[in-house]
Amino acid sequence: MEDYLEKLPEIVECIKDIKDTIITNIVLIGEKPAPTFREKERAKAFMERLSEFNVDECTTDSYQNPVGIIRGTSSEKSPIFVVAHLDTFEAKENYFDYAVRKDSIIGPGIDENSAGVGVLISLPLILKKLNIQLKSDIILAGVIQSVGKGNLRGIRQLLKTWPTPIRAGVVIEAVELGRLNHTSGGMIRAEIDCSTASVKSNRSQRERINAILVLNEIINNILELRLPQKPRSEIVVGRISGGIDHGKDALSANIGLEIRSESDAIVKEVNNEIRDIVEGIRNEFDVELSLKTISNLNASRLKYNHPLVKSASSIMKKLGVEPVSEASESELSIFLSHKIPAVTLGITKKDTDNPDDAIRIEPMFKGIAQIVGVLQAIDSGVCDG
Amino acid sequence: MGSAMGKSWLESNTFHHSEFKDIDFLIEKKREKNLKISLCLPTLNEEKTIAKEIIIMKSELMSQYPLLDEIIVIDSGSQDKTLEIAEYYGADVYASNDILPNIEAFKGKGENLWKALYIAKGDIIVYLDADIKNIHHRFSYALIGPLLHYDHVKYAKAFYDRPISEGDKGIRPTGGGRVTELVIRPLFSLFFPELTQIMQPLSGEYAGFREIFENLSFPIGYGIETSMILDIYHTWGLNVIAQVDLDRRIHRNQSTKSLGKMSFAIMQTFLSRISEYGHINAKERLFNEMIQYNQVQSEYQQEIFKFEQPERPPIVEIPEYLAKFKNSGL
Repeated sequence: MEDYLEKLPEIVECIKDIKDTIITNIVLIGEKPAPTFREKERAKAFMERLSEFNVDECTTDSYQNPVGIIRGTSSEKSPIFVVAHLDTFEAKENYFDYAVRKDSIIGPGIDENSAGVGVLISLPLILKKLNIQLKSDIILAGVIQSVGKGNLRGIRQLLKTWPTPIRAGVVIEAVELGRLNHTSGGMIRAEIDCSTASVKSNRSQRERINAILVLNEIINNILELRLPQKPRSEIVVGRISGGIDHGKDALSANIGLEIRSESDAIVKEVNNEIRDIVEGIRNEFDVELSLKTISNLNASRLKYNHPLVKSASSIMKKLGVEPVSEASESELSIFLSHKIPAVTLGITKKDTDNPDDAIRIEPMFKGIAQIVGVLQAIDSGVCDG
Repeated sequence: MGSAMGKSWLESNTFHHSEFKDIDFLIEKKREKNLKISLCLPTLNEEKTIAKEIIIMKSELMSQYPLLDEIIVIDSGSQDKTLEIAEYYGADVYASNDILPNIEAFKGKGENLWKALYIAKGDIIVYLDADIKNIHHRFSYALIGPLLHYDHVKYAKAFYDRPISEGDKGIRPTGGGRVTELVIRPLFSLFFPELTQIMQPLSGEYAGFREIFENLSFPIGYGIETSMILDIYHTWGLNVIAQVDLDRRIHRNQSTKSLGKMSFAIMQTFLSRISEYGHINAKERLFNEMIQYNQVQSEYQQEIFKFEQPERPPIVEIPEYLAKFKNSGL
């Protein structure tokens, strides 16, 4: 293990030498829009780029996740998965215009997760350039239908249908460099829809109902819920929309929220409490109100002293990156729920000076070196115990 | 127009970029013919797009596939970070004014393209505008493709669907460029119907052999694309020209007023050329001022733009060029 740790600074420099191609990959993949459920164009570009880099196999699985395989030297070793979600929160389907500056790349969705995908498809070239051949096959997967309502369908299907045991998984996220996620909290992602359209005509002017205010009442009730500090739990109301004009009562409104906890039982309990709140408000205001679960995850974890976590931490420290461990609700949960050791790693830092989606280029080289180091650690057997 | 007037050119000399995507084959041809290829990007304040253009071309057509031998940027005096960025990402950067310092310097795209011939080492020169938002390496290899595939082709010109970027509003598809449809195509139809087969004669992306470019005069401004097409057609005929569909090019929208000025310069070049060819005798009667009007409150104010449009002679007539490329055996 020490051998590749020592080589990490050299690896960073070597990766810098091919920055043109890494940036090109990020741009070419990022400029293909991939809203969840409509990732076809980006998946095609993913496959084309992998083919150009002469990966040993390039295909899609039965769920249309694009997958490339770099063959290892030993047929006895199970494959290592490296995944990045292909879809973006950005709903636009037109061409995205990316811009490259001296120290940053700017474009819609670059930090979520186009840079991660761009680095993923650069791995065949990076490993070739570094003259690294692992014993395990490396499976490079750009998983579709991950974010939001996608509910991690792509990775769920990929792992469910993969025919062989899997040695370990590495999940790539564009940001932030330093993240070392190895636990996944329980989570329910839900939407509350309120519509007053069907009841409005029966009411007098004084009694009229505003859908935004109804949801506000629900939010107030949610904020009064008591959540335990341990297991750590939280409710995040992350999205709200409704109404059409400043001077008109909103006929419909919607909020999106996540219930997160280290305990599945608490997630379930809080979800039930929110359901009761919604039911109560619905009866009180006599409006159409619904709570829909759009995504859920069970809590799972890789212990902090697992050799994979310890190795990843050492690699990051060697690169001068301070590891930060927080629970992550992502592809990681699906690996862990299959009892596959896995971590999520960030590639670079957001360019916070830029008002648009932007990442910084320079930290990316350490971020990529860290991926290479972790792959080598896995290949050396840290997950085989 | 029918088949008698050259429909076969449209069929035989029009290509789609996908026909040239086998870059290994192009490299093999380049090696067989012992050619060097230069990519030239003329710039003026292009800091927003220049890095992406250089990085993609360098990565795909120099690092991955050794098709290009060099990327050169010839700049007209950018005030932004164009030069710094271009240099940082590995292009060979030149200020136009520093090239051939013993002759009077002009400012304009044509000037940059002409001076690039003195700087570039290539037997084939690819010229791309530096403001292409959706740049892809096909913009280069697909223009080089016909030159390497077909011995009779000496000059390849791009054409596109040309959606115009409207910021946050997305992309608006258009038929063709407004100046092409309203100015050039009518003029070609009047004087050179054969040339109407060229879909976008004003596109700023083309490639050709040095032996063609070095024998052409270069207007320093907007007229360069027009004069190039006319002169190549006049001297070598249509068959040396190919056109390649590059699918889509996203560019900045321009105001009607700007396009008016561009149209003026193009018509100036066109009329001047056909006078030289003896088609009409109009040259002496042409004015060199474009007059536009602005309404300021209740008054109309005249705005006059003077277009001198000097032309560079064929660079093969310049002694420094001859010394560098002919005497040295390059």
